[in-house]
Parts: sequence; structure tokens; C-alpha cells
Amino acid sequence: MNTVASAPSLDTPAQRGAPLLEARALAFYRQDEAVFGPLDFSLTASELMLIEGDNGSGKTTLMRILTGLLRPEEGELFWRGERLTWDRCSGEVVFLGHQLGLKAELSARENLAFTIGLHGHRNQSGIEQALTQVGLSGLEDEPVRKLSAGQKKRVALARLLLVPAILWLLDEPYANLDRAGIELVDVLLEAHIAHGGSALVTSHGAVQFHGGEPQRIHLHD
Amino acid sequence: MIETRRPGLAHACAAVLRRDLTLAWRLRGDMVLPVLYALIVTSLFPFALGPENALLRRIAGGVVLVTILLAMLLAMDAMFRSDIEDGSLEQLMLAPQPLAVMLGMKILAHWLATALPLIVVAPLLAGMLHLPATVIPVLLAALLLATPLLSLLGGILVALTAGTRRSGMLLALMLLPLCVPVVIFAAGALAAAQEGLPWIAPIAWLGAALVLAVVLAPLACAAALRIALDS
Repeated sequence: MNTVASAPSLDTPAQRGAPLLEARALAFYRQDEAVFGPLDFSLTASELMLIEGDNGSGKTTLMRILTGLLRPEEGELFWRGERLTWDRCSGEVVFLGHQLGLKAELSARENLAFTIGLHGHRNQSGIEQALTQVGLSGLEDEPVRKLSAGQKKRVALARLLLVPAILWLLDEPYANLDRAGIELVDVLLEAHIAHGGSALVTSHGAVQFHGGEPQRIHLHD
Repeated sequence: MIETRRPGLAHACAAVLRRDLTLAWRLRGDMVLPVLYALIVTSLFPFALGPENALLRRIAGGVVLVTILLAMLLAMDAMFRSDIEDGSLEQLMLAPQPLAVMLGMKILAHWLATALPLIVVAPLLAGMLHLPATVIPVLLAALLLATPLLSLLGGILVALTAGTRRSGMLLALMLLPLCVPVVIFAAGALAAAQEGLPWIAPIAWLGAALVLAVVLAPLACAAALRIALDS
């Protein structure tokens, strides 16, 4: 079953100039009431963007629109200059939401093997290595059901290390994590940005980012 | 520089199939329930109608078909439920793979885990009602074509009702009318076989319908699930 094909590298010089993700007058309404927007922003490679706002200000809704799972009511999204449509999500994006997408009956190793089967993986990255990096060595074969909420989150974070995505969309990545876990997210983000990746992160302002000044979007009620 | 290795379609299909079958095996207690249900329902008929062999023999084919259909309905609801609840479906949608093909694999895994055990016990059910042994190969052929057809039709309806609560009852009400042609052709083949008549035509109709469903149902599922998650 060796059908893994090598794909071209994600950041060729020609693509480096255009913004990765661009939003123009993006807005979303629920029952005629504006959830957020209109928003304009663009994100280029090696950039971090923080989406800040109180509970209910539409951070998660915005995130789901950026993944392509939800249709914006107004405005347009562009991925590398091409329109991002609702039914064509980009394969270069990895999304970490409130629901982690882990199967409780499977072990961390099995869950990650499934992720790799669908998304492929970065060269020189392995499941063992990723799980060690997120501090779960020794728990690889425990069913995810038996892990704590923070440990489950760490399994989901290991996915970020494996999937060859240039853009990370992280919805509340700090939720349920202890102090070491929060530092881990910051370290992962810094390494990703340093390697030419980009990330959008929703948070209440807990991010300790040392790799430059991030862009900020503030959502109001 | 992010070096990548993208999996091919066959690789991704194998991953979905392997995961869903592993999950079914871990939760194999759930797999046994439809089989027990079918056994119990079938055993009720001799109690209700009396143990008269001629009567049971006449109704055996239809009873086994309908019982298996209803037993499949019990497990149908769960086809995509856990994936929607734990966020796996979102991850599947974001994967750089055609969603319809991935859902087709999920339906295949669901059929293997729920319908195949029922087909395995079908000769036993038929024997309980004195169906002649010569008809059993026709019964199995009809079931091998009718049950995947029901899984595919069910998949569309499960996807359509994914956003609603209490979708189980709604699903049954929507799926049962769609089962009518399937039951007519499958029962037609059995009746013809029991009377020694040629039974290939209704089986061929089932086969044709199955081919159509294999092509179209995953596409409909994908569209319906995108709509269900777009809220």
C-alpha cells in the first residue's frame, strides 16, 4: 500500500510574495444580527495573527469560515490569490477546534496514524517523535478515552507537528492546558513561524509570542 | 521549508476503512445487537402464526428480508453520528481528499460491520422458517445486493438528518418508503426461486440500482453533510 507520492514543497519563491490568506469585507450574520465583520485582513507566510474577543464575539465562527466549513454571508476569501470556496477547502491548512477530532476508543498512535493516512506527513517526522515532543511518551497506546482533557489536547497538538500544513488555524489552543502545555503551544507556534509557516490563533490574550509582533484582530460584540 | 509527502487516494481510502473497522471491532458489542434483534424477531413469527410448515415456508423469504432490513435500520443512525460529535467529520472534510470517496469508504465500513453479520446469519433465520435449502443461494444473492443499496440510501438520509435531534425516528420514517422497491425486487427473486421460475431478472434490477447508488449516493452524502455542518 505504498502509494505515497512526494508533493512539491509548499513555499516556492514564486508563491512567497502573494498573501496566503486574504479576506475582503468578510461578514457573518445570524438571524440578521451581525456576528462579526465586515473584516479585511491578509496573512502572509511567516506571520502570526491573533484573533481576540470576548466569549460570543464570533471567534469560532470566523475560524470555521476560514477553514471553509462555514459559508460567509458576505465578502470573499482568497487562498494564494485564488478564491476559497465553501466546498473546496485548502489541503494546506490544519485546523484545531474545540472538538479535537479524536476517536476515544483508539489510542493516540492510531488516531495520528489515521491523520497521516489522510493528510500525509512532513518528511522526517514520525508519530513517536511527535508524541514525545508534546510530552505524551509512554501514553502512545492508551485509548484516548483514558487520557485527561489536557492530554487529549496534546494529542491534537501532535497532529500539527505531523501534518504538512503551511497555515495553522488554532481555535483556543490554550484551553485545558497546564502551564507547561501553554508554553508548548508557544514553542510550537514559534518554530512553525520560523520555518515559514503562518498561524491564526484565537485567544483571550494568553499568547507569549517571541518571534516578532503578531497581527491582531479584535472582534466586538 | 516544509517538505511534504501527500498520501494517494488508495492510501487515504485504506486509512478510513482501517480506522472505521478498528472502531467497529473495539465496539463489537454494538455489532451483535442487530443480529440478536433479527434472531428474536424471526423466532416470533412461528409463535404468532403457529408452527405450520407450509405457511412458514411461504412467508419465510419476505420475513427474513424485512427483518434484516429493520435490523439494519437500528444501526443506521450511528453511521456518521460519532464523527459529527467528536469533530472527526470536520477533519475529514479538511483533508486534501475527495470527501465523497472518503464517505463512500465510511459507508462500506458500516456495511461490513452491520450488514455482513446479518447476511451470515440469514441462512439460519431462513432455516428457522423452513425456507427450502435450494432458495438460500438466491436469498444470499438478493441480500448481498439489497443491503449495500440500503446502506447507501441510508447514508444519504443520515447525512440529511445529521443536524436534527431525535434523527433516529425521522430516519426510519424517511428510509422505509425508499426500501419498498428494494423489498419488491428482492422478494420477487425469492418468490420466483421458490416456484422454480427464473429469478435472475429482479436480481439484475437490484444490481443495476446498486451500481447507480454506488456512484451517486456518496456524492449526495457529501453535499448533505456539508450543508449539515454549515450552521
